[in-house]
Amino acid sequence: MILPILAEIGGSIHVGLAALGAAIGVGLIGMGAASAVGRNPGAATPILVQAILAIALAEAIVFYALFLVK
Amino acid sequence: MRDASAPCVVAPLPRRRTYGKHRAAASKTNSMPRRFLPLILSLLALGAFLTPALTFAAEVASEVKEEHGIPLKPDILFQLGPLAVTNSMVVTWVVAIGILLCAQLATRKIKPVPTGLQNFWEWLVESLYNFLENMIGRDLVKKTFWFFGTIFIFILALNWFGLLPGVGTIGWGHHDAATGAFHIDRPLLRGANANLNLTFAMACVFFVCWIVWAIQANGVGGVFIHIIGPKGETSGILKVLMVFIFFVVGWLEVVSILFRPISLSFRLFGNIYAGETMLEAMSHIVPSLAWLIPIPFYFLELLVGFVQALVFMLLTAVFTLLIAQHEPGHEAHH
Repeated sequence: MILPILAEIGGSIHVGLAALGAAIGVGLIGMGAASAVGRNPGAATPILVQAILAIALAEAIVFYALFLVK
Repeated sequence: MRDASAPCVVAPLPRRRTYGKHRAAASKTNSMPRRFLPLILSLLALGAFLTPALTFAAEVASEVKEEHGIPLKPDILFQLGPLAVTNSMVVTWVVAIGILLCAQLATRKIKPVPTGLQNFWEWLVESLYNFLENMIGRDLVKKTFWFFGTIFIFILALNWFGLLPGVGTIGWGHHDAATGAFHIDRPLLRGANANLNLTFAMACVFFVCWIVWAIQANGVGGVFIHIIGPKGETSGILKVLMVFIFFVVGWLEVVSILFRPISLSFRLFGNIYAGETMLEAMSHIVPSLAWLIPIPFYFLELLVGFVQALVFMLLTAVFTLLIAQHEPGHEAHH
């Protein structure tokens, strides 16, 4: 039963897993950034910079999975 | 193919460029939008230039093409010599010419107290400038604002133009014999950022600018030290270890820097292309309610178009800030 399912899932599961991980990461970063701005609204701009950078790093994993792993 | 198209693409550029400079010199006014003109045009030329280059997208398209989906690759409308003009390029040109005309119209008669179009452009450019100044600092924003301002306005205009009714629904098609419905095969217009060539061209332009700015700020050796040199205060045996560790980690940094154009271009392309596909899917989900169901998603796409333009500008700005800023310890001494 499980084998045909695995066969159907095929070779692209790593992209899906990377996207899942990146989505969780981006969500956590967004949560952290939002609560940080809530605590200290004056620091919104530096927090935005940090958050954007961290999101870019987290997102990059998907592109590594897309292009580097075949 | 690429060599043959080069003269055809590059030829119109110098003429327009001198036109822009001549106008700016003639009026001697400090109008920011006019500084954007050469860049927009060079972006266009690059976008056209890369069209034949990225063929792998087309190969993917043939594999995953669905019945109602939008193809990954833009359709070729006609051949202009060796250059294939696609529907995405038509949108790019229309929007770029529209921005140029608006900027020219707005700055034709500069008034000390701006009204109407001039007021709008000044508001847009000034708020962008202040926003970036807060983020990347006064010196850097003076040097690099022409790029970030252009990229934001250009991407935003392209994204929102792609949402207009008629984009993707007017074109050449055929009557389906079974249902009697009309199917569009080659739409006249297609959202320009739903074309990987344009987003990749913009990312490449940024990459070149980034290298130039990095070398201007740090020198060639400084850039290498910045990337693979040790950071933080250590001494003795620990220092030797840190130099080794940062040298090894630096190569990871190099890989991530080389991936930046790819991730920048795919982020924008993926978001806009997915948005177009979603709108298409939503208008097919219940045929009798096709006028109602996509409406909430249109508003979502308005938001996505703005956010993606902002993200592209912010990311490029932050990357520039990271390489051009000095060590925190250095800044304290100044």
